[in-house]
Amino acid sequence: MKQTPLLEIQDLSIGLKGDNIEYDIVRNVNFTINENEILAIVGESGCGKSLTALSILGLHASPPLQITSGSIKFGNRDLTKVSQEDLRRVRGAEIAMIFQDPMSALDPMFTVGTLLRSAIRAHKKVDDATAEKISLECLADAGIEDPRRRLAEYPFQLSGGVSQRVMIALALVNNPKIIIADEPTTALDVTVQAQILERLKDLKKERGMSIMLITHNLGVVASIADRMAVMYTGEIVEIGSVENVFGKPQHPYTNGLLGAVPRLGSGSAELIPIVGRVPQPDNLPSGCTFVDRCGRAVEKCSTQRPELVSQGSVDVRCFNPFK
Amino acid sequence: MNLLHRARRNKQLVSGSVLATIIVVLGVFGPFLLGDYSHQDLLLGHLPPKTSGYLLGSDALGRDIAARAVVGIRISLFVAISVTAIAVIIGTAIGLTAGYVRGAIDNLITLIVDFIWGFPLILVAVLAAASIGSGLLPVILAVGLVNTVAIARVVRGEVLGLTEKEFIVAAKAGGYSTVRILLKHLLPNVMPVVLVLSSYYVAVAIIAEASLSFVGLGAQPPLPSLGQMVSDGRSFLIMNHWESTVPGVVIFIMVLSVSLIGDGLRDLLDPRLRTAVERASSK
Amino acid sequence: MKSIISRVVSTLLLLLASSLAVFAAIRFSGGDVTAARMPASASAEDRELFRRQIGLDKPILEQYVTYMGNFVTGDLGNSLTSNAKISTLAGEKIRNSLILGGSSILIVFIVGVPLGMIAALKRNTWIDTGVTSFSVAGMAIPNFWLALLTIYLFASTLHWLPSGGQGGFKSLILPALVLSAEGIALTVRMTRSAMLENIGQDFVRTLRAAGLSERRIYFKHVLRNSLLPIISLAGLRVGQVVGYALVVETIFGWPGVGQILVNGVLRRDYPIIQFFSLLLVIAVTLGNLFASIGYTLANPRLRK
Repeated sequence: MKQTPLLEIQDLSIGLKGDNIEYDIVRNVNFTINENEILAIVGESGCGKSLTALSILGLHASPPLQITSGSIKFGNRDLTKVSQEDLRRVRGAEIAMIFQDPMSALDPMFTVGTLLRSAIRAHKKVDDATAEKISLECLADAGIEDPRRRLAEYPFQLSGGVSQRVMIALALVNNPKIIIADEPTTALDVTVQAQILERLKDLKKERGMSIMLITHNLGVVASIADRMAVMYTGEIVEIGSVENVFGKPQHPYTNGLLGAVPRLGSGSAELIPIVGRVPQPDNLPSGCTFVDRCGRAVEKCSTQRPELVSQGSVDVRCFNPFK
Repeated sequence: MNLLHRARRNKQLVSGSVLATIIVVLGVFGPFLLGDYSHQDLLLGHLPPKTSGYLLGSDALGRDIAARAVVGIRISLFVAISVTAIAVIIGTAIGLTAGYVRGAIDNLITLIVDFIWGFPLILVAVLAAASIGSGLLPVILAVGLVNTVAIARVVRGEVLGLTEKEFIVAAKAGGYSTVRILLKHLLPNVMPVVLVLSSYYVAVAIIAEASLSFVGLGAQPPLPSLGQMVSDGRSFLIMNHWESTVPGVVIFIMVLSVSLIGDGLRDLLDPRLRTAVERASSK
Repeated sequence: MKSIISRVVSTLLLLLASSLAVFAAIRFSGGDVTAARMPASASAEDRELFRRQIGLDKPILEQYVTYMGNFVTGDLGNSLTSNAKISTLAGEKIRNSLILGGSSILIVFIVGVPLGMIAALKRNTWIDTGVTSFSVAGMAIPNFWLALLTIYLFASTLHWLPSGGQGGFKSLILPALVLSAEGIALTVRMTRSAMLENIGQDFVRTLRAAGLSERRIYFKHVLRNSLLPIISLAGLRVGQVVGYALVVETIFGWPGVGQILVNGVLRRDYPIIQFFSLLLVIAVTLGNLFASIGYTLANPRLRK
């Protein structure tokens, strides 16, 4: 039984338009987020994963960057076409987002309590007492001990881990259906990273939320994601359940990524990097963009662009994937 | 080169430089061309501009306004530039030392600097005039002092920020001598800020000198300071306004050109102001 | 709290030091008092006697202490030119300067901050270009020239406003505006750049993602973050006003502390110079103190 997906990204392209510059960074991206799942989007810096995430809520830097085609279907609305006011109502209330560097992402002039209250009041009228109750609940859900103390504190008084939890609480106050998390743990200490990830996983269960997780860290993907999409030069090259993709990566790039990650007990002591460099979005090769770095390239690869095709349990964009 | 190209595109820098060049040319060559500025002829007073022999008219004592104005430009430029040059050299030296060496020396310097910094320039100049008498000297002393202190303050702040950066820590670890670090590593990084700041202070110096001459405390007659010329023309505003207007406009253009250059420099040298397109496409 | 107390203490010390410096600087040329008081034919011995009588031969510190003692008790001496008691003059002059200076500071912020916010909001439109050019020009115009210009326009030509003196509200308008011009320009530019810088910060994106309206983000959060540099500007403003007031009061004949000080310097009226320059130094120092206290209170990082 196929459920209707919560969020459907269809043929989304996002480009840069400036004086004398015009090219797409995100190219024809397609994926869905279903209820109660954690979808991870993985890739190196510059592959377009953050930009894709930002564009869902229209948070990308809009004068130079813009959505050049495609749609973002949420419920029965296309978020690329709704009014600014409707988009504002979705932000924080139905889809929330948390960001990479929590220390600079919170307004330094206001207390945690005031920030949380503002986020609540942006969507519904509540009195101070109710706002406080919700705030305390969400701070606790985000894993903060002694939430009452935190309400009166300013962001500069918080450690990295605590500020990230405050951001999570901020995202929770209006009970959104989806949380987009853009590299939520990258700026944190390793020990705190695991805790935050665990919390996110538990929140999915406790609140029945879905999470779209943007990361370049495969370890993070392995620990909490259900499905994953691998992005390269602005397109998805492989997408499927984490089990399948990790267990048997089919796209040469995915294979390379996983081979480049040191793993305990895997036997081989060597790290195998992927040769070559990522092509720039304004200078992409014709044909498959991975062709110059691929060990499995065939003649077709230099002249034709591969489409995303189902290979059993996983979708792959390759003319010669691993079987 | 990227910098030169951007410099040429910067409207403020270009317009400011054009104006400044005109002013400097007038100030340097004007007096030779326009003749005697102190020649009085009471019968030829209050002549309007474009009278033969009196390009911009004459003042109450029959002196050629144009001739006086260009000498006035010289005086203003001389005061402003010499004072600012000295202030930059001494102020930067003080700021570098205080910011890098820290400790007791820094505390002492900061104490004195903050002490002087709190006082408005004109007040200091008035006090200097009260103390040693009117003339150009108190103006120079006061403006010099305040500008030196202001620059020292900013330089020190910059140095404090820079000493944490790795390349300085690396230099120290490499055993470079203090002087070498100061001159070869810190100074070039501080120069852009000092440059922008000094353009602002040249403007301040020009206005200060003019204001003081206006109230009678600056350059004394027969030296034709622009501020004094404006003051002299006060009583004749209704009938012969050019006697005040001309020197006033000259001052305005001088200050405007310097401010534009300063703004242009700042836009050019501040990496944060690169356009959004440049930033987005460098990701 | 502790930092505020230490700041008050250091300000008091600063006051002592600066008043001594000012005192010494002016007494430095004290010989002229003798020249002013004694007839030109007086002999050198007579002059020396006179100096000893007045107490000008004693060490500077002692003179300072005596003077300060008199200062506190209200014995301020008489003007050399008009022979009026300075203590009588002081009240009126101070009041007039406070009216002028206070109005100017109010105008600067009530006009400057909103204009700067508008310029930032409408960045790169003609409104922004207009406001910015206006403020560049505003800072370039020497205020004495602006003063003359306005007098010429509004007083002599249009006869809308009086050209000088202190005669109630109407005569306040021109000097207050002229005094504020450069301050408004500076405030507009600072507000604009602070707002623009804060709009681009990460925390704005978080607030937007949380669903706050653009209006709320701009007027509550961006503004609040921009207030810090504006407040420190306000602090410096007091010093600036005191400086410019010296010239503006003189031009408009506004009978305040600035005017009487400048005239005093021109006429070498030492008791006047001594008292009123001390007064201004005190005003500036106190102004800076309040400004730094205000800044500390406004910045949560410094409050804790």
